[in-house]
Amino acid sequence: MARKHVLVALGAALAVGAAVFASSASSRSARATADDPNNASLTYWYWGEPDAPGADNWLKKQVALYEKAHPKVKITVVTQSTDTLTSAFTTAAQTKSGPDIATQWATLPVLTPAWNGASVPISDYVPASEIKNWIGTAENMSGGKLWAMPQYLLGIPFVWNKAMFKKAGLDPSKGPKTWAEFLADAKKLKAAGITPFGMGNKDGYGGAWFFSLIGKQNLDSIDELKAAMIGKAKFSDPKFSGFYQALADLKMKGYLNSDVASISFTQGLQLFGQKKVAMSWVTDGNVAAASKVLGGTKGMGVGAIPIWGKGKLATSYDTTQSSSAFITKWSKHPKAAAQFLTFLHSQQALKAWYKATGVFPADKRFPASLVTDPIAKQQLALDKSPVSVWPENFVPPQVDGNADLVAGTLITSGSGSPADAVALWERELKKWKSQHPDEFRAYTKWVSGG
Amino acid sequence: MAHKGTRRRWHRRRVLWPYLYVLPAVAAMVFAFGYPLVQVVRDSFYAGNFASPIWVGLDNYKGVIDDPAFRQSLLNNLKLLLAVPVMLGLGLAIALVLNDRIRGMRQYQAIVFLPYVLPATAIGIAFSFLLQQNGVLNTALRDAHLGALAQDWLGSSHLAIGSVGGLVVWQQLGFCVVVFTAALLALPPETAEAARIDGAGWWSLQFRVLVPQIRPIIELLAVIQVITVLSWVFNYVYILTSGGPGYASSVMELYIWRSFSNGANGTAASVAVMLLGMASVLIGLSLWVRRRAGVT
Amino acid sequence: MVSRHAFLVIICLSALYPLWFIVSTALKTNTAYQLDPTGFPTHPTLGALRSIVADQPLPRWMWNSLLVTVSAVAVSTLVALLAAYAAVFGRFRGHRIFLSSSVALMVVPPVTLLVPMFVLMVDTGWVNHLQSVIVFYTGLLVPFAVFFLTNFFRTVPPELIEAASVEGAGPFTVLRRIVLPLSGAAAFTLVVVQAIWVWNELLIALVFLQNDKARTLMSGLAQFQGRYTTNQPLVLAGALVSIAPVVLLYLSGQRFFVRGLTAGIGK
Repeated sequence: MARKHVLVALGAALAVGAAVFASSASSRSARATADDPNNASLTYWYWGEPDAPGADNWLKKQVALYEKAHPKVKITVVTQSTDTLTSAFTTAAQTKSGPDIATQWATLPVLTPAWNGASVPISDYVPASEIKNWIGTAENMSGGKLWAMPQYLLGIPFVWNKAMFKKAGLDPSKGPKTWAEFLADAKKLKAAGITPFGMGNKDGYGGAWFFSLIGKQNLDSIDELKAAMIGKAKFSDPKFSGFYQALADLKMKGYLNSDVASISFTQGLQLFGQKKVAMSWVTDGNVAAASKVLGGTKGMGVGAIPIWGKGKLATSYDTTQSSSAFITKWSKHPKAAAQFLTFLHSQQALKAWYKATGVFPADKRFPASLVTDPIAKQQLALDKSPVSVWPENFVPPQVDGNADLVAGTLITSGSGSPADAVALWERELKKWKSQHPDEFRAYTKWVSGG
Repeated sequence: MAHKGTRRRWHRRRVLWPYLYVLPAVAAMVFAFGYPLVQVVRDSFYAGNFASPIWVGLDNYKGVIDDPAFRQSLLNNLKLLLAVPVMLGLGLAIALVLNDRIRGMRQYQAIVFLPYVLPATAIGIAFSFLLQQNGVLNTALRDAHLGALAQDWLGSSHLAIGSVGGLVVWQQLGFCVVVFTAALLALPPETAEAARIDGAGWWSLQFRVLVPQIRPIIELLAVIQVITVLSWVFNYVYILTSGGPGYASSVMELYIWRSFSNGANGTAASVAVMLLGMASVLIGLSLWVRRRAGVT
Repeated sequence: MVSRHAFLVIICLSALYPLWFIVSTALKTNTAYQLDPTGFPTHPTLGALRSIVADQPLPRWMWNSLLVTVSAVAVSTLVALLAAYAAVFGRFRGHRIFLSSSVALMVVPPVTLLVPMFVLMVDTGWVNHLQSVIVFYTGLLVPFAVFFLTNFFRTVPPELIEAASVEGAGPFTVLRRIVLPLSGAAAFTLVVVQAIWVWNELLIALVFLQNDKARTLMSGLAQFQGRYTTNQPLVLAGALVSIAPVVLLYLSGQRFFVRGLTAGIGK
């Protein structure tokens, strides 16, 4: 009789074991041998669609082309979502497993995993002759090595709706060049019953953009911001944080769309193309879409961001190469990965990219003659500006997520003052230092040219 | 007495079997809880990442307590406790009405219970669209000339956690209704009859006779829902507001998750330990209260 | 009387409206939705639904969720059945500690256990495979299942057990012949509650299953929401697909759902 109980208990235990292993799909993958660039199975965590609508399809086609030319190579693309782009990779990196190729936004989001030992320099796997054609590599350099491959140039022009300008009694061919003009235009638009400026900030990216487009304008060089990150300068200095007052003013005066706090950033980018607001700033990719709706140069204007600050960076443009691709440390096929990434910079791939997304690839070999649309030509001219800096890229990802993104939402939701926003930044900078002493050290070293 | 002898017979001869039967459960619990709990306490004293942890003693705890984001998260969990009496009260009201031998009771019950079985993620997504500033709810209010009531349900830092609470109530209500209905149905009809014969009105019948009889069930459900609101609301918050705006609707589960996503495991672990402590205190308290009330 | 019906009707409408919103939006095109978010779909189209099923790995996700749910719930119910039976009818030494531990563990939020479990899963190579979540879910479900079944078993009249033992039946026979048949409804309720929990679970699935092949439905949907904020019909089509099996199951077995809960609570 006792046997029966043992049997029962065993039966239960077996059920546990059986359930566990019956459900194991493809568990043990074949151990790869050497790193043969033409024989590998790669996983690529990709992000690009929100910046450049059409990107996902482009990559799908490129993968198909590449696999056809390299039958023994299999590439699995896993599209990432914006709000978990950094955290998903951080999680994977902590346990040294995950994709072969990953995507992160340029500079700090690329360099932080590099400093944490999660990636390998792409310059170790791609010849310098190829790299010299890539545009914007400076943003991903550390320790004399290039850590990630730029994929596209993302201009962020200021756009305005010409018909609405006319309606409000403004000259439709002249977009505001200074902040004073911007405020004056907004006042007239509001008086005419038009929502002056549109953005979405439920997830905080609207505020982060405000930091990167307006906030930097009191700085003379991005090195000043780097100093503030490691505590050598105080973020509470109006040079760094004065822009929150400008944002608060916009909210207070009612120049923003009423649902700024409850729509996502991507939704906010659509407002201009939906003719719901008169002015906005959007990515190059979204300009193309809006242009179709508004009727090209007749219906919309494209220009630089209004000048608000007094620093040298006030006249810099904002091409962020945005997302960059890098090879992970634990990948068993770095050569194969590098070969595929280089393929994405081939003439065919670059042309296909521009055709699919309307965004300019980060490659000097891309023929400008392909850019025919007049609006696109204006964007390209802007993108070629001599100085181009996106401050958010220099903020440690954790601080970006917890301070940059959050601080703006305090203002746009009316639940905090600029002083609260600044206090949040300072707290998060301190937290970053104490929670990640190794990252802090690496950043400090990098700042001093390491 | 025969049954006492039987019991003893079981125990004398087969004293081994209960241990065998309970073994798989104990193994499962040690695996899923024992090991991680020990680890989490250990992790809470370190900073840095997995590869190179650095001992910091109590610094994580100090840092967390100093962090307004954490305090806000804690406060929000406490605010969500307000959802419990709401769902219990409303659920009780509905159950009492249904119990009154109302026509179509089964159909009503079926509809009211439906939200409970729906996936929180899907529902959360729907609500996140419905509750936008210019979303369906506000548009409907404005169309009905109630525009003054239209708020920024998700974007306002005062209301965001309330919206989460609303979603929790919306989904959990059906469960409360069904539980209460079952409990009411199981009551012996004689007491109610007697009260009616004595001339008790509808209200006094409900609240002086029926409700007190199902008090143990109400308390049980209250405990279950308090636990829900403290420890099982991640889905709702993550999908509906992601804790925003800022940290206005963050809860402790979310704070832990965000810390973990940023690679700040020590912080995540220290908050986890604190959350566990609070939950244990709560559970201990509820057990003490029940023992005092004479309920086992 | 009328006021009572009105009250119930209002409750029912608010219970049903979000579901209606999901269905009606999923059947609209994006432009139609932008123009009229609240209205009836004038030109219903299956475009969003088709796109969801064809272009996204949704069917794969659903299959994963199903597999995980069935496995975890089956195992945890079985395990808890044995344990609760042993605790209530065997009253082994330490059974009180076991039961109070169960209750205590019910309160533990899974998020607190997440990081160590994640590290363990990576070390064993189970991360991104379904075993990881199945095993973890099973462990997480056991305390509640034990608690629930214990409460139920306590309501079984001891006379029945005594009568059987007098006839010489051992514990296993009693379990099989007497207690199990009685527990049908309670076990069913337990299975339903657990299945709902596993099917809906998001956090652990998000962290343990990161590649699209292994993802569960809910974590896939959550990603979706982030990626397609501007195409609400598409996202809600995904939501609809995740809800449909549950609703269908519910409609066909609704009587059992309710009866199960009824029998479990009020005996």
